[in-house]
Amino acid sequence: MDSLEIIIKYWPKLLDGTLMTLKLTFLSVLVAAIISPFLALTRANASPMVQAPLRLYISFIRGTPILAQLFLIYYGSGQFRPILQEWGLWSFFRDPFNCALLTFVLNTTAYQTEILRGGIMGVNRGEIEAGKALGMNKLRILQRIVFPHAYRIAWPALGNEIILMMKASALASVVTIFDILGRTRQIFSRTFDFSIYLWAAILYLCITAIFVLIWRQAELRLNKHIAPSDHLSADKK
Amino acid sequence: MFELFSFGENGWGDEILDGVAITAQLAIATLPIGLFIGFIVAFAAMSKNKPLRAIGYGYTTLMRGLPEILTLFVVYNGAGLLLNTIIKWWNVDAQPIDFSPFIAGVIALAMVFGAFSAEVLRGAFNALDEGQVEAGRAVGMSPNVIFWRIKLPQIWRFALPGLGNLWINMLKDTSLVSIIALNDLMRMTKVAVAFTKQPFTFYLVACLIYWLMSLLSEIILAKMEQNANRGIMRV
Amino acid sequence: MSKTDVILEANDIYKSFGNVEVLKGISLEAKNREVISILGASGSGKSTFLRCLNFLEIPTSGTISVHGELVDIVNGKPVNPKHIEAIRSRLGMVFQQFNLWTHRTAIENVMEGPIYVKKIPKNLAREKAESLLERVGLKDRMHMYPSQLSGGQQQRVAIARALAMEPDAILFDEPTSALDPELVGEVLKVMQSLAAEGRTMIVVTHEMAFARDVSSKVVFFHAGKIAEQGTPDEMFNNPKTEVFQKFISKI
Ligand SMILES: Nc1ncnc2c1ncn2[C@@H]1O[C@H](COP(=O)(O)OP(=O)(O)OP(=O)(O)O)[C@@H](O)[C@H]1O
Ligand SMILES: [Mg+2]
Repeated sequence: MDSLEIIIKYWPKLLDGTLMTLKLTFLSVLVAAIISPFLALTRANASPMVQAPLRLYISFIRGTPILAQLFLIYYGSGQFRPILQEWGLWSFFRDPFNCALLTFVLNTTAYQTEILRGGIMGVNRGEIEAGKALGMNKLRILQRIVFPHAYRIAWPALGNEIILMMKASALASVVTIFDILGRTRQIFSRTFDFSIYLWAAILYLCITAIFVLIWRQAELRLNKHIAPSDHLSADKK
Repeated sequence: MFELFSFGENGWGDEILDGVAITAQLAIATLPIGLFIGFIVAFAAMSKNKPLRAIGYGYTTLMRGLPEILTLFVVYNGAGLLLNTIIKWWNVDAQPIDFSPFIAGVIALAMVFGAFSAEVLRGAFNALDEGQVEAGRAVGMSPNVIFWRIKLPQIWRFALPGLGNLWINMLKDTSLVSIIALNDLMRMTKVAVAFTKQPFTFYLVACLIYWLMSLLSEIILAKMEQNANRGIMRV
Repeated sequence: MSKTDVILEANDIYKSFGNVEVLKGISLEAKNREVISILGASGSGKSTFLRCLNFLEIPTSGTISVHGELVDIVNGKPVNPKHIEAIRSRLGMVFQQFNLWTHRTAIENVMEGPIYVKKIPKNLAREKAESLLERVGLKDRMHMYPSQLSGGQQQRVAIARALAMEPDAILFDEPTSALDPELVGEVLKVMQSLAAEGRTMIVVTHEMAFARDVSSKVVFFHAGKIAEQGTPDEMFNNPKTEVFQKFISKI
């Protein structure tokens, strides 16, 4: 079989894998995006005592391979099987998809938190004070001033993190999930045709390219909405 | 519990330590090769020659867009295939040989490190103060001397934080080679798990060891940055 | 060397950036111990000319010779480029923005050229650098980094760096323009002492007092050409061209 025949025969499998990659990435990024603002605020404002466990968690995630984190959760949960069964959690941990998702959520939440914290720290103190001077309450200030700025600052870095997450999701194939790489390895083990890896590479590159385009468009929107004029003219006002 | 990690017949301490050694060797072997690739690619991306520039940019875009583990598989399977084809062509009767996972790991990790470090280095080159380079020319320094005495020390300073991050990422990425059957820390942990049926304990220990290596790297890098920033931060 | 020896000679220098001709045939010679001030409006090509003299810009055409090392430029290409580094090491240059190497201390900045261009042993270079820094009044600051020095101090280190190469002539491109007014004096004082010592200097400057009191010759650039030149006395008391009259009346 030449490589064209292989792709004609196996494209539904690859498509299936692509959807799995997208699903894993999207879900983990989404859950993390919901949690991370709260953690980022804690990282930016809370007392050192409150921050300590959070810093430990972030340092651990950043200091260890995501593959090790995945194995710790997927295989490691087996060690606590009786307890987990008792609590009715075993069916969750038995499923590799759940374990992969949990790992990825824990992982990207740590990174997103740090990125967002950087954004929050970058917000101009004067603007926050202006909000206070107008009598805005804390929630209003966060909602109208801090987070809009923080996201604008953090946007490019968040985009990078999502791409990293998408690439890291390929590790799910190691715990028998059929994402792009999982399907690719499966097809390779049947055909021994190396070209299937190149098709996988193209798929990953396409996803990255499309995502980058979307993210840039969103960035333009975001900046237009929050800062209608560029920095220079804003300064002159 | 401690017996599990003792060194000797019953404990897994020595096996895991062997794994750590392989992991460290892998990372240390990758660093110079990856940096070398980084410089080459950065020079290509900054060159005046259009095709060369396209190759430089193409390489970084490609490598940064691919999952590291895919790169590893491509190198491991692809290079093995290539190697055997060449050997066959050389000598028809030759036995197919296995491409060493260690070498495949070093090549794949270095290719990735090269792409990311090329970006860091390019940024550092762009941050160079043209005036200081001119001052070198004005005293009659040759381009060679200017590179080694003025550009490189400053590039080093600008690039160090970025390269430090990449080093830690690469250190963590070494865990991927366990998938192609290299007996690194990750793999040895897996072996221990199979015997002891204590996956959580052992994977936690593996995590802690990686964590320790990362923290240690961070401390050393902070010292190096301090050193490189002599005369910059102080006012 | 006698007073009439020509140290540096630039002949019919043309320079274009793209289609814009910035220098339109400039000839200038600097004799031993001469201090030449170059004046001119912004954009008249003063810096470009100075940078051409040591080939930081390659002229489009012309000839430059420094103490017998001659470089002919035809169509923007030096005919004998081998001489360029030799010329550079014979000409010192002091920049408007100092351009000290930020990763090296004051004394290391001064030692760098002698060690790596002239291949002088380190300990000799160090002794020399120390005495030069003392000469510009910075002996007590010699182990500081540029970021720890004021602008005036940085510029004095830059002058010491140029002197360390024992140049036949020193080029200055507006050495005091980037300085706070209160720091200008200390740099001018050093330059004045160099002039008194008999150094050959070519100085692009907006400091009229320096041009009048220190230099032996004043050259006025206008639109890429030398519009007028002469002794400070002739130039300031009896300006001939209308453009130069206008120029000094504005100050
Ligand atoms: N690298 C360059 N590329 C294009 N044009 C340039 C370049 N350098 C200088 N020019 C142009 O050449 C002209 C002369 O510049 P030059 O810097 O020599 O003027 P100057 O007399 O030193 O002025 P100033 O007093 O402002 O320093 C200017 O119009 C400038 O825009
Ligand atoms: Mg100028």
